[in-house]
Amino acid sequence: MPRYLAVEIRRMYRDRRFIFFTVAIPVGFYLLWSNIFAKSSGPDTDTGLDPKTYLLVSMASFGALGAALTTTGARLAAERQSGWLRQLQVTPLRPWAVITTKVIASMCLALPAIVLVGITAALTQHVHLSPGQWAAMVALMWVGTLPFAALGTLIGSLVSADAAHPVTVACYFALSILGGLWMSVSILPKTLRTIAHWTPSNRFADLGWSVVAGHTPPASDALVLAAWTVGLGALAVAAYRRATVRR
Amino acid sequence: MNAITFTGVSKSYETVRAVESLDLEIDSGQAVALLGPNGAGKSTSIGMLLGLVRPSGGTVRVFGQTPDAAVRAGLIGAMLQDGALVPGLSVREVVDFVRGLYPEPLPLAEILELANLTTLAKRRADQLSGGQAQRVRFALAAAGAPKLLVLDEPTSAMDVESRRSFWASMRAYAAGGRTVLFATHYMEEADENADRVIVMARGRIVADGTAQEIKATAGGRTVRFTIGDQSTAGLDRLPGVTGVEVRGGSAQLSTTDTDATVQALYASGISVRDLEVKGAGLEDAFLSLTGDN
Repeated sequence: MPRYLAVEIRRMYRDRRFIFFTVAIPVGFYLLWSNIFAKSSGPDTDTGLDPKTYLLVSMASFGALGAALTTTGARLAAERQSGWLRQLQVTPLRPWAVITTKVIASMCLALPAIVLVGITAALTQHVHLSPGQWAAMVALMWVGTLPFAALGTLIGSLVSADAAHPVTVACYFALSILGGLWMSVSILPKTLRTIAHWTPSNRFADLGWSVVAGHTPPASDALVLAAWTVGLGALAVAAYRRATVRR
Repeated sequence: MNAITFTGVSKSYETVRAVESLDLEIDSGQAVALLGPNGAGKSTSIGMLLGLVRPSGGTVRVFGQTPDAAVRAGLIGAMLQDGALVPGLSVREVVDFVRGLYPEPLPLAEILELANLTTLAKRRADQLSGGQAQRVRFALAAAGAPKLLVLDEPTSAMDVESRRSFWASMRAYAAGGRTVLFATHYMEEADENADRVIVMARGRIVADGTAQEIKATAGGRTVRFTIGDQSTAGLDRLPGVTGVEVRGGSAQLSTTDTDATVQALYASGISVRDLEVKGAGLEDAFLSLTGDN
């Protein structure tokens, strides 16, 4: 499996254009939003964070979420359709190892998205966090991408290569909006706020917001994210098996 | 031990019965061709052999194990019909990766040599011609030195020259006492490369034996001569004759034993002119076996 992981990561990083957009989009949005909102609005009502720090977490989450989804869904669907995954199916590599590798590889692209948004925030907006806070934020947010990588592999196992891209983008936007990554969930209607509270994206970003606000994230964040990871991961393995073996 | 055992294996897709009650045993160390027209059930049978298709009934064993267990143990290597290559890796990288998944693979240089890929090793695997890509897929199938190599219509995208060198590679691999099963609808490929030919049609085995035996069971050869207006009585009782056809002064005898038929023909007192003995090709045998009759 380590060899498969190495091969997957190498393949991913050879796709330069893809890497560029995955990393450049959240950095670009951070620069845009922080320049617009930093001047015009006050601290976030839920977290008490100033806009540039709040947006650091939002855009890092947005980038990590995007990296985890786009490196899994469409690629997996294309490999499934082309027959490459069937070829792997007749080697000693097991289906769970394929899914696990895809998940870890996608997390390896989420990491630079988080780190680069962080560097941009520190350099351009002079966001100050202690070294401990930086480390905790990056580490927690990195592990927190797990459910999204699992969701991506689920999409890749369920839908055709043509449909995988739009489905991924739809999930990406829905999770970003409901998770409060574009605007704070405090402005959403009450029903949506309740739903938002249970989304993995909101809990994911909450890990980061808690850390940068200087307190430990609530245990419920970890529980909700773990539940999503287990649920989506189990579905992904089942869907992958169904997609590669004809009953 | 048998390399492959199918016991009462069947497979239905909704209303279509793709494979019907297949019983089959293949010894280790043989090169076996699975010959049949499209839709005969070859690919479904191969899918079941590899654990990619679950049988509707019966059991499949590979070296005494379930297909899944045999695949997991690295006993099987396969070249599938639709096994595309993954983008973003060189030929060497993709072969080395698959090789590394097996417990006792062939050395990398040996695989590249075997599949005639040494000069292409640095090329990107997604930038190859159809025939070159097929060679890479053969290399992937053989990379792990599997005891059973399964090839599903391996030469479909190849020109004549690639085909020849492909079968040379296959024979070199099989020569190490390994078992090779390949599906094809080219009769001459089965004839030239297999120790045993299994003919499938409409989901069943319709003939099984050496290429020679298949040709013989399907009516074998014909003896043709000009008979003029002589009596045809008794021709059908000549040794080996299975059928007589007389048309426009010319008689054609189907026979399973041309030597005996021709000897008896000359001894019968009939004046024989323009004698012609023709062997039925495997092609004819194949058509007569798989045709709707």
